[in-house]
Amino acid sequence: MKQFVIIGNSAAGIAAAEAIRKADKQSAITIISDEDYPAYCRCLISYYLAGQVLVDKILYRPENFYKENNITLLLNKKVERVDPKKNRLVCVDKAQIPFDALLVATGSSPKFPEVKGIKKENVFGLRTIKNATEIAERLPMTKTACVLGGGLVGLKAAYALSKRNIDTKVIVKSKQVLSQMLDFAAAGFVQRRLVEHGVELVLGQDAVEIIGEGEIKAVKLDSGKAIGCELVVVGKGVKPNIELVKDTGIKINEGIIANNLLQTSIPNIYTAGDVCESFDITVQAPSINALWPVAVEQGRAAGVNIAGGNIIYDGSLGMNALEFFGLAVVSLGMYKVPDKDPSYEELVLDNPKEETYKKIVLKNNVIVGVILVKKISNSGVFLSLMRKKADVSVFKNSLLDDNFGYPAIKDLMPDKERIYV
Amino acid sequence: MKQLLYEVKKCLGCRSCEVACALAHSLSGDLYKALDEEKLSMPRKKVLACGGKNYPVSCRHCEDALCVDACMAGALVFDKQKGQVLHDAERCVGCWMCVMVCPYGAIRPDIKDKMPLRCDKCKDKDEPACVKACPTRAVIEQEKAEVKK
Amino acid sequence: MGNVEQRSIDKATQEVLKKAQAENINTVWDRFDQQQPQCGFGQLGLCCTVCNMGPCRIDPFGEGAQTGACGANADTITARNLARKVAVGASAHSDHGRDVAHTLSLISDGAKHTHKGGHSHSYEISDVEKLKALAVEFGIDSTKNKDEMAKELSKKLLEEFGRQQGELTFTKRAPKKRQEIWKKLGITPRGIDREVVELLHTTTMGVDNDYKNLIQSGMRCALSDGWGGSMIATDVQDIILGSPQPIRGKVNLGVLKENYVNIVVHGHEPVLSEMAVKAAQDPELLKLAKKMGAEGINLAGICCTANEVLMRHGIPVAGNFLQQELAIITGAVEVMMVDVQCIMPALQEVAACFHTKLVTTSPKARFPGVTHIEFNPENAYETTKQIVKLAVENFSARNKERVNIPAEEMDLVAGFTKEVVFQILGGKYRATYRPLNEAIISGRLRGLAGVVGCNNPRQTHDYFHTTLVKELIRHDVLVLQTGCSAIACAKQGLLIPEAAKLYAGQGLQEICEAVGIPPVLHLGSCVDNSRILTAASHVITEGGLGEDISDLPAAGCAPEWMSEKAITIGFYFVASGVYTVFGASPFATMGSKNVTDYLTKGLEGVTGGSFEFCDDPIKTAKLMIAHIDKKRQDLKLKPAMYEAGKA
Repeated sequence: MKQFVIIGNSAAGIAAAEAIRKADKQSAITIISDEDYPAYCRCLISYYLAGQVLVDKILYRPENFYKENNITLLLNKKVERVDPKKNRLVCVDKAQIPFDALLVATGSSPKFPEVKGIKKENVFGLRTIKNATEIAERLPMTKTACVLGGGLVGLKAAYALSKRNIDTKVIVKSKQVLSQMLDFAAAGFVQRRLVEHGVELVLGQDAVEIIGEGEIKAVKLDSGKAIGCELVVVGKGVKPNIELVKDTGIKINEGIIANNLLQTSIPNIYTAGDVCESFDITVQAPSINALWPVAVEQGRAAGVNIAGGNIIYDGSLGMNALEFFGLAVVSLGMYKVPDKDPSYEELVLDNPKEETYKKIVLKNNVIVGVILVKKISNSGVFLSLMRKKADVSVFKNSLLDDNFGYPAIKDLMPDKERIYV
Repeated sequence: MKQLLYEVKKCLGCRSCEVACALAHSLSGDLYKALDEEKLSMPRKKVLACGGKNYPVSCRHCEDALCVDACMAGALVFDKQKGQVLHDAERCVGCWMCVMVCPYGAIRPDIKDKMPLRCDKCKDKDEPACVKACPTRAVIEQEKAEVKK
Repeated sequence: MGNVEQRSIDKATQEVLKKAQAENINTVWDRFDQQQPQCGFGQLGLCCTVCNMGPCRIDPFGEGAQTGACGANADTITARNLARKVAVGASAHSDHGRDVAHTLSLISDGAKHTHKGGHSHSYEISDVEKLKALAVEFGIDSTKNKDEMAKELSKKLLEEFGRQQGELTFTKRAPKKRQEIWKKLGITPRGIDREVVELLHTTTMGVDNDYKNLIQSGMRCALSDGWGGSMIATDVQDIILGSPQPIRGKVNLGVLKENYVNIVVHGHEPVLSEMAVKAAQDPELLKLAKKMGAEGINLAGICCTANEVLMRHGIPVAGNFLQQELAIITGAVEVMMVDVQCIMPALQEVAACFHTKLVTTSPKARFPGVTHIEFNPENAYETTKQIVKLAVENFSARNKERVNIPAEEMDLVAGFTKEVVFQILGGKYRATYRPLNEAIISGRLRGLAGVVGCNNPRQTHDYFHTTLVKELIRHDVLVLQTGCSAIACAKQGLLIPEAAKLYAGQGLQEICEAVGIPPVLHLGSCVDNSRILTAASHVITEGGLGEDISDLPAAGCAPEWMSEKAITIGFYFVASGVYTVFGASPFATMGSKNVTDYLTKGLEGVTGGSFEFCDDPIKTAKLMIAHIDKKRQDLKLKPAMYEAGKA
């Protein structure tokens, strides 16, 4: 009987715990979380803020999950340091927790830009239930809000706030929203939807200061203009939570570096989720894809390997699905061609009238990126092709057709077809 | 545990299964009345043509389903007893993660209701509507065990 | 619909269906079941096979393609499909009319030779009065001798088919106001063939894309049937075969006789069957029948051919459309002689299960490998004699153990033509529509209803017809019937004078008792729907009930329709201003809200008539009665004299 410890109680941590328990009914599993809720769906925080879901609905697993799986859950416990030499964890409260194998799934935290006033009260990230609850508490006193950042978190925050009838402006440094997942054209569709529904976008400008004494009064922009508001939400991306492995001998880069078994540089210490820097299949380089499905996948693979299995994890790819005011958008992998690289090819179908947009990025006839606006149901098919690095030259011309779908690729898939007889 | 199979050489691409599916999921269940419903029902099944053959595409109720993994709301679960991926509309927030990852393209977004459209095998009915509707009997419902033979 | 009670309300039908099931013989009901579920695109009219870019179909649930390859949307596609059906239905009736007119022409030609060797069994002019009346309508000198008159008339009638300009002569029979409405809409039919051809032209790829225009073209084509082809068929058949007079007959499978040679005539054109009636009485053949061990030769009919020979000779009716196979399954039919229309392809296979010989007689309607004895008017008697002889000789092949004729048969009175119905109402010597108009004006009669059309396995056989008609007469609505609908009601005993007492409301009962007519009047075959149009025009002319057919407290219904001809009849009724309800299932236009709304709501402001679709007989009766009551109100007539009695 072994002692397995998991730091992090979200997608990767839970998936790992489930995978371990599936293979090993005996060993002890401990999950440590610095939050005070059982596992919940982090991505639903903005829906919670919008008032569309209640707290009990965002629980990721039933209440009896930990008990049923014989998992010890330690809430409100913050790990200060990993001690690989002694195979133990040292907590802020000085407690020491030994392990035979450890999974570091500490996730990430909102990045706060270094501008004046960013430390003020009423400047929030949107990551945890706690964040959302705190924002919600401020709303009765709030008429206008600024969101810093036009990424997914920023826009989801803006969406939630406007659903709560807060006059919301989004300040975006780039000339478009979602610049980390959409090209300019696709972002245009999203922007139109947001504006139509009363979300104001301030593009191409960045916040330089948060003005106000005690209470926030306004956000000052690099253009010199100031935008009045009483609340600020920061959505400027996330940074992996790596503090507890710094200077422990565990190799880090931006995140914790993992091999294809999701081991860190120390073999009995694994990593998964937003903190894990694994390999990006489309970019063909180490990278962090801080995404829920990726975390689940990595967590499961790590869990299997911790329990003595041997899953080779090929790597992840950036992917996201989102929806704003009834417009569905999917982005997979590389959403635009690296500057004028002739080895890439783009297939584009742009129909503003029907609000549909499809783009496929190919390199040597292998799909490396996809953007779909409105008609998104084929995205999983493209995802399969990307994962398999399949040569699509045979049906390249029909990739963008509405009639294209799984049947066209079925012979390329490794699993034997079972339902078409 | 039953699953839906398709005898591709028999499929003529008439799309009767699509119509039957949309009808089975309409409020009235009556072809003429269904077209007057405020929100038109949508089929969970689509017939795609490929290489001169026709393939009805719909949820396969995978045991190790990617959509279940991707569902951050916990709204999708694989029910071992039923052998089906079940969807809890109460929990679903319409994030489209399931749509994004389904390798068969068998989940479509219903934007109006913010719900993924997936085959539910017509729930409590004795036989899925598409099986009944197929004029050439290309849609077959069969025990999974038989398939393995 | 496995059990026989769900399939038909008719006991004879149920009995033979049980026999069919026991002997594993498939009938139309089984084949209909095998077709379930039927194609949604087809039902909604959203499948287009017009051109070779197709077949295309419109996604009725709005997500997939909303236009065909050519760009035609649901409106265009459903309207085009419907228009094509109208053209086909009109073709069927009108081609029938053409054949009859052609026969008239042959009679007038042949008349010259009759004295040199013609025999007594050739066709002749039977109703000279009617010939004269038509001659007057066509501007022919009615003092000429009948053969010359017939010759000139047949020429003029045949010209109606090929006419390119002007107006069909019979459209003048319509009330003035109706003629003006047609002119204003530009739908007065010009030539019978022209309207069919032109309508078909407009439905081909890339011609008419305006659904309203397509439907109006459809109405013009349908009018060329109702006030053209069908009317010619009816009137010329009356001239040649004689105008029907009220006559008693018997109906249902029980009319087949166990110890007789049974010949069933089936189809729509009575010209040949008329001769079969004579041939069945041929002493030589009767003698042969006796020799074969039969007591005699029994002729019976199915579908409209049956109605035609019933109305003129009292030949019994074996059944309506859905009973055609059942007649054979009784095991007692030696020959089924068929002409055109509504002859199920399945007959060949069913006949093969028995000794029954199926005989086709029209070059237009044949089966591979089936005995074909072609009819032509010149040697009609010889032809039918040959067929009757075949039947007699086939008697010995009958397997007596497999014979099972249901006992059910019912009396009926038929033969109420537009001339006769109202002569009767007015008394024999006072041939006028006055009493009818008075009865409606006073409210003793609430109004008139035409209940016509086919059977359809979609609906419990005969149920809609009889339930609707009973409900109508209970509300003092005099019902005029034709075709398979009349046969349905006849089987349930609604076409005898005694039915008035059992089913009719008090007002209708009083009239029926005073005049001695049934509460439901049998006007003939489906081409005889034209008799209803002329009768309605006469009522208007008589006065007191408005200026146009659309003013009349009247409504129409095809409860169990299945044929394209029914759609055409519906079109010419609506184009003539009649509110017309279709049962069974709606037209295949439900895929287009625009087209369906235009048919059910929009047309009233255009022609004064409109379509309605309803699948429940009681609701249908309510709709028709409400319409009749509204028209009574519009005419400022008193409400109906009596409340409806108990159901």
